Amino acid sequence: MQQSSKNRIWNIAKREMRQLSARPIYLFSMVFAPLFSALFFITLMDEGLPTELPIAVVDLDNSSTSRGLIRQLDAFGQTAVTVRTASFEEARKEMQSGSIYGIYRIPKDFATLAAQGKQPKLSFYTNNASLIAGSLLFRDMKTISVLAGGSVGLQVGLAKGQTESQIMGQLQPISIDTVTLGNPWLNYSVYLNNIIIPGILQLMIFLVTVFSIGNEIKLGTSRDWLQQSGNSLLKALLGKLLPHTVIFTTVGLSITYILYGVSSFPLQSGWLPMVAAMVLLVLAAQAMGVFMIGVLPTLRLGLSFASLFGMVAFSITGFTFPVKAMYPPLQALSELFPLRHYFLIYVDQALNGRALYYTWTEYVILASFMLLPLFVGRNLKRALLYFNYIP
Amino acid sequence: MNLLHIIKEGIQDTCYIWKSELNLIFKDSGVMIFFFLVPFAYPVLYGLIYNNEVVREAQLVVVDHCDTQSSREFIRRINGTPDVDVVYYANNMDEAKDRLDRKEAYGILEIPSNFSSDIHTGKRTTVSLYSDMSCLLYYKNYLIAATEASFDFGKEMVQSLHPSTTREEGKIAVNPIPYESVAMFNPANGFGSFILPAILILVIQQTLILGICMLGGTAREKNRFHTLVPISKHYHGTLRIVLGKSLAYIILYILTCCWVLIIVPALFDLPQHVDIGTLGLFVLPYLFACIFFSITLSGFVISREAPMLLFVFTSVILLFISGVSWPMHSINGFWRILAYAFPSTAGVQGFVAINSMGATLNEVAFEYHVLWIQTGVYFITACLVYRYQIIRSRKLLLKGSELMKQK
Repeated sequence: MQQSSKNRIWNIAKREMRQLSARPIYLFSMVFAPLFSALFFITLMDEGLPTELPIAVVDLDNSSTSRGLIRQLDAFGQTAVTVRTASFEEARKEMQSGSIYGIYRIPKDFATLAAQGKQPKLSFYTNNASLIAGSLLFRDMKTISVLAGGSVGLQVGLAKGQTESQIMGQLQPISIDTVTLGNPWLNYSVYLNNIIIPGILQLMIFLVTVFSIGNEIKLGTSRDWLQQSGNSLLKALLGKLLPHTVIFTTVGLSITYILYGVSSFPLQSGWLPMVAAMVLLVLAAQAMGVFMIGVLPTLRLGLSFASLFGMVAFSITGFTFPVKAMYPPLQALSELFPLRHYFLIYVDQALNGRALYYTWTEYVILASFMLLPLFVGRNLKRALLYFNYIP
Repeated sequence: MNLLHIIKEGIQDTCYIWKSELNLIFKDSGVMIFFFLVPFAYPVLYGLIYNNEVVREAQLVVVDHCDTQSSREFIRRINGTPDVDVVYYANNMDEAKDRLDRKEAYGILEIPSNFSSDIHTGKRTTVSLYSDMSCLLYYKNYLIAATEASFDFGKEMVQSLHPSTTREEGKIAVNPIPYESVAMFNPANGFGSFILPAILILVIQQTLILGICMLGGTAREKNRFHTLVPISKHYHGTLRIVLGKSLAYIILYILTCCWVLIIVPALFDLPQHVDIGTLGLFVLPYLFACIFFSITLSGFVISREAPMLLFVFTSVILLFISGVSWPMHSINGFWRILAYAFPSTAGVQGFVAINSMGATLNEVAFEYHVLWIQTGVYFITACLVYRYQIIRSRKLLLKGSELMKQK
């Protein structure tokens, strides 16, 4: 009796659902891992910026002026003065032990010298082995130094009979007004989680796709699987991966909802462009997974390929260190990562709300990842029919 | 049997297990990938990705509403910094924003029409800087370049406005309190110098987990009764098994550590203020903790390939929880407790302090103690795992032989 294609695909999908529910590892890697990661990263960074980062103060002046300065510094959101040391050496030791991320040093006779116009110098040190903490503290300690200069300059100028606007024109002739487009709070959670969480989903899709197909070869069930499809690899893959697509899309869209609904991250474009991007990311990653096991039809090699590719994606996508600053061959390589294109869509749509005109090519590229399995079809089919499991 | 005999037999068995474990590792190409290929190739790949360390010449569009000699000079100053490259002069903001939309630039500098007149009359003027936030490093570049240029250029303009005052006086009026900032332990402010040390330490733990769990999973698939321990007279003591296996791993990983923690940082010019003795003393408990932790985990893995699905994604979480990227100080509550369950957290904190900041064991005493405590705890759990497995395989063996008799 000749079965219709639809029937065959449906039967293979049912077979796959039985396999998925038989092994808890599928539930773990398809649902738990991505959602747990989402929970982890969102709650870890729920303040947006690290606050109250500890610093040490070396106050060699110890006047009311210097104490006022320290109080003001302590009042900043990112800075907390937790240690006072008598010497710089002590403070440095504290920094090496990791208990502080910055040192603010006020020189001896600071207040007296400042009043006399003798230009005493303030120094501050940041621990840039921790880049985020270092740059946040740099900002606060620099601001307080500029303010200190301002208040002294104001006193001196007023004494000379200058007006306040004249003095400000002298102290800071050109001020800079910064506008951070799309993310005015410089929120790290927005900056990182928009890509890290989909990145983990992509990694798990690679792994699960390779694992489920590779396991057919390992357990010797691949011939039976192909037979059910009437020896058509396309139908076999469609039927097998359809349940995955449903589960991963559901998880993916939950992530989209967590990012833009629950956490209210910037979504200038409205929902549709990001929902489409997520659906395409899932499909592209699945296709990439088929490609991986097609190229290396040994379970462990396929999984190693998937792990490597999935992990490198976090760096080569360029959301922390820009792709344009990497070596040209790496720039070209970055195009092969679905997450890279998802990131470019996110920047245009959710973050900046640009017209689709600037972004549509990225959607097309993401969609065209689905053609990848075509290149390995013959190799994969041969593996499914004739390969024996090699541990 | 006297005590001496037990000790002698124990040592012999330990050596036997050590030898056969090494054999298993070298015969298993999957494990070889984790124990050799990944630790050797991965750090190099990451080193290459981040080798340029800093972003240079971030593309900037300028909208100059003033268009005078002084505004052009100000732009020239900004363009002259290594951080920024002015790629286009737009006539208005719409045109500039279009350049951003096309990704030809990532920031806009807008100079007001009263820029020149303000400066020449001693009034404060404000320029606007717009930055695309897709990558924080661009924003940083624009801000640094604009701040430096505005400070230097502004100072000169003020001094030229007051030629009557002496140079010294002029300096004091402009800059009554100078300040200096020092970026410690990562003077170039490089991205690679900051993230790579953490990745290096993490690679050691993760490859050990993956390799040892794969060995465990394979043993489960191959052994009769699907237990971790084979039926062999050499494998009947917990301590022998755990010590014999650990010995095999630690010998391989001493080599790996030399490559990952000493040669790779030197290869990529990362900050390296390291004292080899200190590093060696610190890495020892880290390796022990990682190995016993991995052996413990291997008790819960029943198939050869499952570890990759279970543990690869944790690398991302562990990197963030280790307190390098997101400061440890801001990791609180449950996540902090979870962080210290993994050897990598104390490992990363300690290695960064020793390698990048030149700390001695005194400064990293806390991390050092944590690692030894983990070594102790995970040694006990590793033994429990094998104790359970030995008892289980004996029971199954007994049951099996009874069944045989009944037949």
